[in-house]
Amino acid sequence: MVKMENEITLFEVLSGGPLKVTGPFRIKGTDGKIIKGNGPVELCRYGHSSNKPFCDNTHKRIGFSD
Amino acid sequence: MKDPRDRQYTNGEVTVFWVPSKCIHATTCFRELIEVFNPGRRPWVNMEGAPTRRIIEVVNKCPTQALIWKYNKDLTDEEKIGQRTVNNQEETPKSLSRANKPTNIRIMKDGPIVVEGKFKIIGIENQELKPSIMTSFCRCGSSLNMPFCDGTHRKIDFSGQNGEDGE
Repeated sequence: MVKMENEITLFEVLSGGPLKVTGPFRIKGTDGKIIKGNGPVELCRYGHSSNKPFCDNTHKRIGFSD
Repeated sequence: MKDPRDRQYTNGEVTVFWVPSKCIHATTCFRELIEVFNPGRRPWVNMEGAPTRRIIEVVNKCPTQALIWKYNKDLTDEEKIGQRTVNNQEETPKSLSRANKPTNIRIMKDGPIVVEGKFKIIGIENQELKPSIMTSFCRCGSSLNMPFCDGTHRKIDFSGQNGEDGE
């Protein structure tokens, strides 16, 4: 699929949940390697995922709120 | 080996060293002390903008040592020579991140999600939040400035590792 030139990356802060990212982006992990080159993804926002940096829905069990 | 982009600034009492290659755009410096650290200005560091004590305080909060400081009496001879060079073509945290396309998302070890590029942020009430050219999102869940990083991850010793501490 061809990306539109002016397509913009969108970060949605989900209440009590992850940071949802859509659009063109690339994610580099803590070692500087690209771990994800396209979307959408959900990034853990409160530190309890067992699949960091991605969300694994643990926030629902723990009851995280902003 | 010194990077040619490195800069240093002094008020006669202390010297602040700026190492662009180490900057992760945590934005702590200019959120805390825009009078001194203003990426929209050249040079972007104005050592006359605040008292020495305050400058030291904020430089000490830089998470990566992209900013460090020294008393002038402790400078090496090489650092004293650097003192006299002035260059308006310097990098700033802003110009560095502008060069990045597409949107670059970096996961900092035990720290925030750092985003650079052209992007939009929608907050929890569906409102558009103003992105700064470099934006750090909280990843530890304890920031007092949600959804953005405020450095609290260091206070709580946040670990970005998966495992026992991830539960």
